[in-house]
Amino acid sequence: MTSILNTVRMSAAACSMLLLAPTLAQAQDITLWTLNFSSQASNDAMQKIATDFEAANPGVHVEIVTRGVDDHKTALRVAAGSDKGPDIYFSWAGLGLGGEYIKAGLSLPLDKYYAQYKWDDELVPAAASFSKIYEGGRQGVPFTFKGEALYYNKGLFEKAGITGEPANYDELVADAEKLKAAGIPAITFGGTVNWHVMRLMDVILEAKCGIEKHDALMNMTASWATEPCAAASFAELDKWSKNYILSPFMGIDNAQSFNLFTAGRAAMMLEGDWLVQQLSEAGNLDDHGVFPFPTGTKRLYGFAEYNYVSTKSQNPDIAAKFLDYFISTPVQQAALGSFSTTSINKNVVYKDLRPLDQKWVDIFNQHDQVFMNGDQAFPLDVTTEYFRVINEVASGNMAPADAGAALQTFIGNRS
Amino acid sequence: MTPKTLLSDNRMQAALLLGPALIIYAVFALYPMVDVVGLSFQKWNGLDANKAFVGVDNYVSIFTKDPVFWGAFRNTVIWTVLSVIFPPLIGLLLALGLNQPIFGRNSLRAIFYLPVIIAPIAVATMWRWMYDPFFGLFGQLLTQFGLQSWIQDWLGNRDLALYSAFIAHLWQSVGFSMVLFLAGLQGVNKTLIEAARIDGAGRWNVFRYVTFPALKTTITIVLVLSIISSLKAFDIVYGLTGGGPAQSTQMLALWAFTQSMQIFDFGRGSAISVVLLAITLAVVVPYLRWTQKREEIEQ
Repeated sequence: MTSILNTVRMSAAACSMLLLAPTLAQAQDITLWTLNFSSQASNDAMQKIATDFEAANPGVHVEIVTRGVDDHKTALRVAAGSDKGPDIYFSWAGLGLGGEYIKAGLSLPLDKYYAQYKWDDELVPAAASFSKIYEGGRQGVPFTFKGEALYYNKGLFEKAGITGEPANYDELVADAEKLKAAGIPAITFGGTVNWHVMRLMDVILEAKCGIEKHDALMNMTASWATEPCAAASFAELDKWSKNYILSPFMGIDNAQSFNLFTAGRAAMMLEGDWLVQQLSEAGNLDDHGVFPFPTGTKRLYGFAEYNYVSTKSQNPDIAAKFLDYFISTPVQQAALGSFSTTSINKNVVYKDLRPLDQKWVDIFNQHDQVFMNGDQAFPLDVTTEYFRVINEVASGNMAPADAGAALQTFIGNRS
Repeated sequence: MTPKTLLSDNRMQAALLLGPALIIYAVFALYPMVDVVGLSFQKWNGLDANKAFVGVDNYVSIFTKDPVFWGAFRNTVIWTVLSVIFPPLIGLLLALGLNQPIFGRNSLRAIFYLPVIIAPIAVATMWRWMYDPFFGLFGQLLTQFGLQSWIQDWLGNRDLALYSAFIAHLWQSVGFSMVLFLAGLQGVNKTLIEAARIDGAGRWNVFRYVTFPALKTTITIVLVLSIISSLKAFDIVYGLTGGGPAQSTQMLALWAFTQSMQIFDFGRGSAISVVLLAITLAVVVPYLRWTQKREEIEQ
């Protein structure tokens, strides 16, 4: 009788294990939704990291689903409204699009994992700082961090008699004036993509308002209509567009603007660290230098792309473990250059860098605070209005003194 | 009734033939249309599980608080007026010319029709490069003729951008009107034309008293189609200017898309779509009824 009972027990246990087996296998699966990157090297690197993680963690399967930008955004919206979706998803940092998903509850706060894995010991502070800007805890882990600064044409600077990089905003304006006097447009932008000219407004705002007021304006806790530095910033934008930007610029895009810059038609361009590769491909890397926009606040202008753990994830621990693996020094060292010029891991060692890449590494190391692009900082509807007001001022259709009031009216009308 | 006799019934045959199309139409056209009307009374960002009913707030918002809506409305009206005048007029002139027995007539017809089959977004890309103030075709041509001062920021100047975009649209759409008029011209009674000529009518009078009246139905079709396509103008403007500079070339259809798919305010986007639908119906339905009645009287 006992043996029969034992046999029944063993059979029951075997059946339970068999029934449980698929569940266990399923429990080890995680899905990562990310972009189908334009660089195949990025896609390959991402896949390799997933495969290596699987090899290091037997029984775990990482599925990477890639989509175009718009498809990715749509898929995330669908996922947010259902109980299915990825364990990890790519998005941008900031209160804009990335912030909307967080506000909608799609992102799991990661304070526990930041402490458990000591991610702050590995991450570049400027890149990690975006995880702290939300209410309710730290959100997401950096995927890439992009800094933006002023690239300049050494020859044109020399021709205008500019001997050094400007130390503050007034010196920058003085240099722009020297360039103008020498018949050289100081800077180039492409107006059809709204975010290009926006960059100039963003950095002027930081320079004119300082950290506290800048952030209050971008957080919409200060009034754009009454804050004097906002009006002063729009006035400066007006001055730049009338005097220093290569014209016409409202009808061209950033790519055409880049062509004009490399053709020596303008002396400066406000671009991200990714431009180093583009300049290299254009064949005149050595003709250019780069320096942070001299805002005087010691903060670097930039934005970050993050990977977030979804609240819908059945396996947040494995998702966090994968992210820990992703940002780890050996993995980031091996993938260096695949996703960005520089890594979000501060322990990565850079060797044989091109001078401009080295300059960027120095810039990143010199800054532990950042201020982000307006279109990442504002909610989407305010961003659209911010673009409109900036473009109206830049094209001379709106008086700078009226711009702050126009933006504030829109903000005030939001329900 | 056996299946055989059932199938031999004309009404049943019609129902069977129309059924699949009606189902598809209901699912992909009627349902979304009704859904959009419902969404226009709700607030939804595409993320929340629940859509909050907000009454007419979205309409109040677009009419009184949206700094872009009325500009988009004005641009849509301008675009519609231009679309009703120029593509049909030029299409008619081309059709009249290409209806004559001239050398290379068929090739010319194909050439003028060719832009119609190009995707609007491709047309936009092409024209954007031609309009480039630094490297574009128009700038180069003006430079060659010593007219550098005439070079404009065709797509960046808010006073010009809408009209620059319309010229690209005109280039693309004129072939469509031309083909419809050519088809209409084939239906003009040649005996009447010969009789008019025998009676001493010149080219203008033949056109005025014979050809033009015979083209009235075609003209109606061309005008109605022009109005409908212009009210929903989207892709060419999206590709050329994206609604800029500073939303100065924004159109209602594009603004509805921007609100829904870029700002993710589906309520306001739907409200704009409903306004656009109402305008379209307000223009097209009375016009169709009027022309229908007139044709009935003439018959």
